[in-house]
Amino acid sequence: MRRFWALARSAALEALAEPLSAILFLIALLAVHLLPVFHLHQFGEPGRLSRECGFSALLMFGLAFATAAAVHSIGRELESGTAAAALARPVPRALFFCAKVSGVLLAFVLFMLAVAGAMLLSVVTAQMGRMATAHGDALALTWGPGLAAGVGGTLLAFTLAALGNWFLRTRFCVGACLLMTAVQPLALVSMLFLNRSPVPWSLLPALGVLAIACAVFVAMAGAFAVCLKPAVVAALLTVVVLLSFVCPLRAVMPDINRFWLVDAFAGGGAAQMADLASTACAGVLLVAFWFVVGSALLARREIP
Amino acid sequence: MSEPVIEIVGLRKTFRDFWMRPVAEAVRGIDLSVERGDVFGLLGPNGSGKSTTIKMVLGLLAPSGGTIRLFGQPPRARAARARLGYLPELSYLHPFLTARETIRYYAGLSSLDRRTARARTAELLARVGLESVADRAVGGFSKGMARRVALAAALVSNPELLILDEPTSGLDPIGTRDVKELIRTLAKDGVTVLMTSHLLADTEDVCTKIAILSQGRVAACGRTADLLTRTQDARFTVEGLAEDEARALADELSRRYGKPVAFDHPSVPLEKFFAEAVGAARG
Repeated sequence: MRRFWALARSAALEALAEPLSAILFLIALLAVHLLPVFHLHQFGEPGRLSRECGFSALLMFGLAFATAAAVHSIGRELESGTAAAALARPVPRALFFCAKVSGVLLAFVLFMLAVAGAMLLSVVTAQMGRMATAHGDALALTWGPGLAAGVGGTLLAFTLAALGNWFLRTRFCVGACLLMTAVQPLALVSMLFLNRSPVPWSLLPALGVLAIACAVFVAMAGAFAVCLKPAVVAALLTVVVLLSFVCPLRAVMPDINRFWLVDAFAGGGAAQMADLASTACAGVLLVAFWFVVGSALLARREIP
Repeated sequence: MSEPVIEIVGLRKTFRDFWMRPVAEAVRGIDLSVERGDVFGLLGPNGSGKSTTIKMVLGLLAPSGGTIRLFGQPPRARAARARLGYLPELSYLHPFLTARETIRYYAGLSSLDRRTARARTAELLARVGLESVADRAVGGFSKGMARRVALAAALVSNPELLILDEPTSGLDPIGTRDVKELIRTLAKDGVTVLMTSHLLADTEDVCTKIAILSQGRVAACGRTADLLTRTQDARFTVEGLAEDEARALADELSRRYGKPVAFDHPSVPLEKFFAEAVGAARG
């Protein structure tokens, strides 16, 4: 267990320490906070765009962040020699693969929590009607307290990470990602103090199910990275993700349409627990399948 | 006699391309035996098969033929690898981890408990002279400092066998001397060392046995002293002998034995001279 934790922790840190991670966190959170405030896009249903923006941010930015991290963590380590240094220890190769991908998934869970917090804040703000101007100017941006808390909190987190790096020599990118995640629920709580609006907690299981679909791609990226060059993995994975929208091979990859449950919430609806549970189970099985494939490939691979 | 720590018999390795066609025959039938307490040097020019042999011993590469036994077990056996420490040719470190975190990371991979890992990390940071920069990210370290971190990481599990691939690569002369001293100390403590080096002087200084590889084969192997000593010749060192007295003595010996006698003045090794000069300048 110590070996697993040492590897997973380093993989998670490595994923968050990349400048690209902090940039993707920032862009995703600002997108969730900012996009829904354009009055033109409210569709007459407050909160809908906030929900869909949150789900989209998780799928697009989260997938980009986590698959890049998985490819880097497995592929680059095998190429650079850090994997050889670790595998010369009493570390079974299957454990190495599973721990590395689990570490990346840990970082991805952090991303999911940040997006979930931002999305809930955005939906609550929309419900409170503080974003809409209702003055006929469709593109007007209303700087309401929700926006201030979300965007301001996110930028404050970035600033605090920079100050921590300057004064305490903490890792800037890791600090920025952690603080941006921590600040979202704080901003939500502060908004709830202003107005006790109901929080749509029911969105979270649906978001979790989508995160499981992303986890399948992350494990798949890790398995590909065992035997292919990072650029080839990136190209292959892009094709696989696109395929998963149109003609999914359910035995090996998730059908994104099945995992995209946000439409169920349109018009005040809700996702069915049975759907959520069965989809989540299918996703977890696919993650396990790719863990086995990756471990088997690594067991056979020569490490120069 | 105890079981060899490493036993290699008829080892071969052929690298193949994507279509499984042979590309290079890196190792062509090596037989070696490393006994407990040896400091064994693998020497050879570039491409002679040193690193490939070490990677097969570590279980990172699969041999194309022959056998390797590590503590009597196959190289991939976890129990065997738990007893060894490895310093790669390049100090492959995670740039975002500090020196302390790096050593703890490797302590974790060796399953040391938290308290032991902490104590061992502090001890090794002091041993390799990196206490003052222990909390700096290794990504900003010089090559020599990174080498010291990697060496500390190799030692963290108190290994019985230490495999060092070019251990003095990137180190300044004082760092090189410290590493050689460390290898001698470890050998005195009973640690078996298998090392490769391009620097023949370093190998000669510390290795009790050497094997010279060439084109994937063992060109020479044995105790360093046996291989390098010319027992048919003799050299005397006489302290406080002037040039003319030495010349007279050489002539006398030459006359007596009817053979040419050469003499020279002993010199201090450059490494020792450098260390003394730098030490004096630092006060």
